[in-house]
Amino acid sequence: MKKRILAIVLSTVMALSMVACGGAKEEAPAATTETPAATETPAAAETTGDSLHFEVLVKSFQSTYWQAAVKGINQACAELGVTANCNGPANESDIADQVQMLDAAIEAAPNGIGLAACDTKSVLDSLAVAAEKGIPVVCFDTGVENAPEGSVYATVATDNVAAGACAATNMFPVIEAKIAAATTAAPVRIGEVNQDATALNIQQRGLGFINEMIKLCTAAGKKVAVVGNEFYVNAAEGAVAEGEAEVIIEVGVPAQTTVDLAATEANKIMSKEDTIAIFGSNQTTAEGVLTANETLNKLSTDPATGIIGAGFDAGTPQKAAIKAGLFIGSVTQSPLMQGYHCIQTLVKICNGETVSDMPMDGYWYNTENMEADDIAPNLYD
Amino acid sequence: MANKKSLLKGREAMVVGIIIAMVAVFSILSPTFRTYTTFVSILDCSYYVALMAIGVTFPLITGGVDLSIGTGLICYALFGGYLIVHKGMPVGIALVACVIVGTLIGLLNGFLVAVMDLPPFLATLCTCMINRGLGSLLSGGFGVSWPSALEPAGWFRSIFRFKAGGQVIPVGIALIVVLVIIMSFVLNHTKIGRYTFAIGSNKEATKLAGVNVKFYHIAAYTICGFFAGLAAIAYSATYVTIYPGSGAGFEMDAIAGAIVGGVSASGGIGSIIGAFLGVIVISLMKVGLPFIGLQANWQQIITGLVLIGAILIDVVKKKK
Repeated sequence: MKKRILAIVLSTVMALSMVACGGAKEEAPAATTETPAATETPAAAETTGDSLHFEVLVKSFQSTYWQAAVKGINQACAELGVTANCNGPANESDIADQVQMLDAAIEAAPNGIGLAACDTKSVLDSLAVAAEKGIPVVCFDTGVENAPEGSVYATVATDNVAAGACAATNMFPVIEAKIAAATTAAPVRIGEVNQDATALNIQQRGLGFINEMIKLCTAAGKKVAVVGNEFYVNAAEGAVAEGEAEVIIEVGVPAQTTVDLAATEANKIMSKEDTIAIFGSNQTTAEGVLTANETLNKLSTDPATGIIGAGFDAGTPQKAAIKAGLFIGSVTQSPLMQGYHCIQTLVKICNGETVSDMPMDGYWYNTENMEADDIAPNLYD
Repeated sequence: MANKKSLLKGREAMVVGIIIAMVAVFSILSPTFRTYTTFVSILDCSYYVALMAIGVTFPLITGGVDLSIGTGLICYALFGGYLIVHKGMPVGIALVACVIVGTLIGLLNGFLVAVMDLPPFLATLCTCMINRGLGSLLSGGFGVSWPSALEPAGWFRSIFRFKAGGQVIPVGIALIVVLVIIMSFVLNHTKIGRYTFAIGSNKEATKLAGVNVKFYHIAAYTICGFFAGLAAIAYSATYVTIYPGSGAGFEMDAIAGAIVGGVSASGGIGSIIGAFLGVIVISLMKVGLPFIGLQANWQQIITGLVLIGAILIDVVKKKK
């Protein structure tokens, strides 16, 4: 009998903890950082109210990219004398969780919200509510197209189209000779692994690479076909049918944002005899390419001996791969500065200043400039 | 019992036939599939699933299930990575820590199910959530990178992928085969195994026969946790960075593999070799379907359909 009672009590506690965990996704994050207001920044305090508090939603705490963004947020809070609560779902695929968190953040009525949306369409209704309640939103990392009028005051994000194109621009000279030798009978293949086909920044980055590569190949007198994931195939500009092309860009998108599934996509592309290059368009997919190479051993910085690889973002494995000559280089963003400018822009809005979008550059880095002063701070582990 | 044995052998032979057919179809449809490196890739993504499947076969045979092994795997790998990266501990200690934490969580699952009488589905769903949160807490919410193969501390990767002259030798498969043999022996020729079957066939009758059902029930879940810890090592040895929040769904690959391999979803029937062969089917689909041009989402749909087919076979056989 005692055991039965104990079982019921334990069941109740577990059930309550489950409910609490469910609730926690709305109010308490997978990882939450409460940033204390700084007390030693008189200059900043003069420009801000002492009680400003912001809710910030990142896409997840999965990658060190977001660790750098949170660092920038903390830095801005300390300098400007405000507080921010950073929250985010466990996984970038957890779109519904992030929408719930956003709704909870709006309910908390902060002075402003910083948002890196996992899915740009899913947050539209919540943004409309934020606008109704007069809570300003600043998007960072990812812009929200067609956001309800008056909801998003500014977007602080990498110009992802340009950043994706940056990878193509730096990859093309290395594989130019191979492309020049390609024919419709013996085409060459360039792979691209994108984390998804839903987030605007990934879409823009993926298409930035594809469209720039099409432009460069077309200028070299070659026709390009895009195959693989339907979104990228349909959105590519200037592509021809596969049978007419000398260059094929194959786009792989894993079913979920995991390194093993990204590696499977990379493996499929890299196993093909005609593959001459591959681009992983974020940290997870770049690591997927490197994981696939663990078995295939095909990556090289010399097109005569292997597949040319390029990545995006940073992280320990990717930086080590560049140093080891597996990647010719990668494009990095500045998550730290994006986080910083998100808070700074929110403060400006609260102070009645006019703000505007803040596009940020993507930087190409390789063995030659990894330690440079303007690059090294962006290369997080 | 004799019937059951012949049924299992028949099921395992059928799964081998499915594997051969799948390899043939993928090889015909995609010339790049029939390469040594693809074979290695299939094994690479089989190791951690196979280890989870070996473990989860025990709770499945008792008529239960363990849903916590997927997020558990990530939690243990994050803990091990945390010890290496943030505490400067040797890789060997991190590997042992993965197994210890996994075993403890398995013990907790066994206690909740056997002693507290919680339904296995709910008990392990709770520990699944605990694992997910614990993993994020242990890692500070951020991904942790285990030492890569390029670093001296990355020696542990050779347990599964030994590199010789630039060629990868999938030595992990030998380890998995040894474990399959050992655990097959445990399941079929030891008290733990026999009582695991007995609990799954008729728990009350087993209890009335004087068997310490709670002990053997706990043992089944503890073994499962132990193998989830080993799976964490295999995952960390194959993939460099471990991301908190991932892992949900990994357990489904293992459970699906076990069921495809003939482990009964309602308990009392199953074999370790069947579970292992089932995992090979799942991994073949994971790697092979993209090769024939199907988008990765199809893999999940087809895996679901294959699982329905496997369960239907199980149900029809039981009705007969």
